[in-house]
Amino acid sequence: MTDNADLEALRSEVRGFLDAEKPAGWRDASRTQEDFVQTQRGWFAKLVKAGYAIPHWPAEFPGGGRSLAEQKVIYEEIAKADCPRLLLSFVSTYHAFATLHECASEEQKAKYMPRILEGETWCQGFSEPGAGSDLAALKCKAVREVRDGQEVYVVNGQKVWSTMAQFADMCLLLVRTSSEGVKQAGITYLLMDMKTPGVSVSPIHQIQGDEEFAEIFLDNVVIPVEQRVGEEGKGWAVAQATLASERGLTLMELGYRMRGALSRVAALIREHGREQDRGVLRDFGALVSEVDAVCAIADQFLDNRIKGIERIGDASIVKNSYSRALRAYAKLGVRLGGMDEQYVKPITFGDLNTGNWMADFMNSYAWTIAGGSEEVQRNIIAERMLEMPREPKHWTL
Amino acid sequence: MIELNELTDAAQKAFPADKLSPARDASWELTAEMGWLMVRLPEDDGGLGLDREASTAIHYEMGRVLSSAPLIPAQLGLQAVVESKTLADRADWLERLSAGEYAPLHMLPAKVEVAANGTVSGTVGGVFDGDMAVAVVAMLPTGYTLIPTDAQGVELTERQIWDPSRRIFDLVLTGYAPDPALMLSDVEGAAAMHDVLGPEAHLALAADCLGGATAALAMTVEYLGMRKQFDRPIAMFQALKHRVADMKTRIVATEALLWSRARDPEAARLQIAGLKALATDVYQFVTEEMIQLHGGIGLTEEHQCHLFMKRAMLNLQLCGSLDWLNERVGQDALAEMA
Repeated sequence: MTDNADLEALRSEVRGFLDAEKPAGWRDASRTQEDFVQTQRGWFAKLVKAGYAIPHWPAEFPGGGRSLAEQKVIYEEIAKADCPRLLLSFVSTYHAFATLHECASEEQKAKYMPRILEGETWCQGFSEPGAGSDLAALKCKAVREVRDGQEVYVVNGQKVWSTMAQFADMCLLLVRTSSEGVKQAGITYLLMDMKTPGVSVSPIHQIQGDEEFAEIFLDNVVIPVEQRVGEEGKGWAVAQATLASERGLTLMELGYRMRGALSRVAALIREHGREQDRGVLRDFGALVSEVDAVCAIADQFLDNRIKGIERIGDASIVKNSYSRALRAYAKLGVRLGGMDEQYVKPITFGDLNTGNWMADFMNSYAWTIAGGSEEVQRNIIAERMLEMPREPKHWTL
Repeated sequence: MIELNELTDAAQKAFPADKLSPARDASWELTAEMGWLMVRLPEDDGGLGLDREASTAIHYEMGRVLSSAPLIPAQLGLQAVVESKTLADRADWLERLSAGEYAPLHMLPAKVEVAANGTVSGTVGGVFDGDMAVAVVAMLPTGYTLIPTDAQGVELTERQIWDPSRRIFDLVLTGYAPDPALMLSDVEGAAAMHDVLGPEAHLALAADCLGGATAALAMTVEYLGMRKQFDRPIAMFQALKHRVADMKTRIVATEALLWSRARDPEAARLQIAGLKALATDVYQFVTEEMIQLHGGIGLTEEHQCHLFMKRAMLNLQLCGSLDWLNERVGQDALAEMA
């Protein structure tokens, strides 16, 4: 139990750290992807050292053992101070951590968890060209063999939309080991070293010029059986642990960041001399309140989690509220900027509200498509929260 | 200290969800019996001394059943008296109002002129249930004042409005001479009074909207589950489900903002004005969808859809329209982000 005084003490401690260590000019230092990766690595190392990088890990790790209320304080302060988000290490500190912590063997934990703190990064090999919203339809095939006296899986297939896989050391990989029975039953979970022969990575060029995601091609990749998490054919359950690892802090943080970044819209209004334009003021006012509502719902969501009264669908509501507001934010910027925004400007990596409005607009799709599309969230809200009937499962063309 | 959920439970028992817009006079008496007229009256003045969160919870429940009892203008009228530093018989008025006499704050602008001799002529708009009012709390160019409805030069004219859950009157003044003993503020004090009453009005109306929107959503979900076409409940169609999910999403997010503002004594006036704008916008969106998703039955007078839509449309106009409020919020945010 953490009481308010403790939380406030933590808050001022974090503020003190941020005042001293805030990476000034990190946006300017993130104009190329290489620079962005460097900035991210440096900031992560600083946060690890200060004990703020992995507050959600168990207490045996330095900086771990923080309550969700304490995590919330840390994230709030980092967002309010406008420091970089930990993007490069996100999959390793959340997805890989949760998978290892909840489902992996003691050997696997001992091997990989400390390496994450030293800066090893992970990516997620889940989605495939034919398995997006319907993830369990994945086809990447793993065949069990004995090679050189060692039991291994030989993997062939393709993964896509893997966040920053081009910089990753390790991969959380879902493969199909059986096509019998329901599609979820034949899935197995492996930990793959990205330097294994047969692994090739190719970045995806996004419409705004970023390369946040990559494709992973697997050509006879040999993975020892010891790298499996959980039993063969039980990978779907492990994947649920991976996907449930993020506990709502991200959207709260992003809400605060968008709140702060409303000043960019204000600056744009001034820059274009629209201060007296009543239509513009109305749209800006409506946006301000909508963003306030996003912050309020994200906050409430986390508070409910802290109290243990979260319900199915709550997270979907937060995500759709945020992505809707993010789109509105970027669109207003594009509109106010006029022709100026049609000339290409350098993008900033690792930030959603950069004031490069066309880039921000295009980037906002990441939130309506990735991590469970807006439409999938709507199904969850309608079917699981409002208990509306599901569509019939079987149909024929 | 009364717990919030006790207040909500009591409200739901007294005003069950299946009975929309129960008769006004009986509802008014019931509200008085429940002590709701005194919810925001400080304990020192003989009231319950509850906070914004409590009154917000009540207005939310009254919005849910499309209450026809004018609790919001009554609470605001009472608060104007509470805040008054100039009213001669303040204690007497407070006693009368908490006992059930009705002196509402008007909810639409006053368009009046003050003659050289100090008399006032024109129209004070948005007087809810003027037929039961002993006086009206009006914002005149000379400050806030109580205007007795039976005074010389004062007439109440009912206006036909679309929303059948409310009754609205114009207070028509013809050479009305304001009674100095009934002044609630002078000109200078009017701004301070306005700063107190504005957020209270906006919070109450936002609660009314979101209570109503929540009920409208529940009715829509129920109808879609019951109505069958093509041998299945139409709730099964994703095209409809997704619209319902958006209704839910917008209501829940705005409600989170409602409670966070209601609990925050530091919330700025325009932050609450922005909440009211957003809540009315959401209520309008939800009731618009409600009618469409109900199909033909939603266009009939016999069905209840239209009651929600009409109340939502009226709420948009009360105490500042959507455009006007958004403009003010935008202006304020722009100045703040200089």
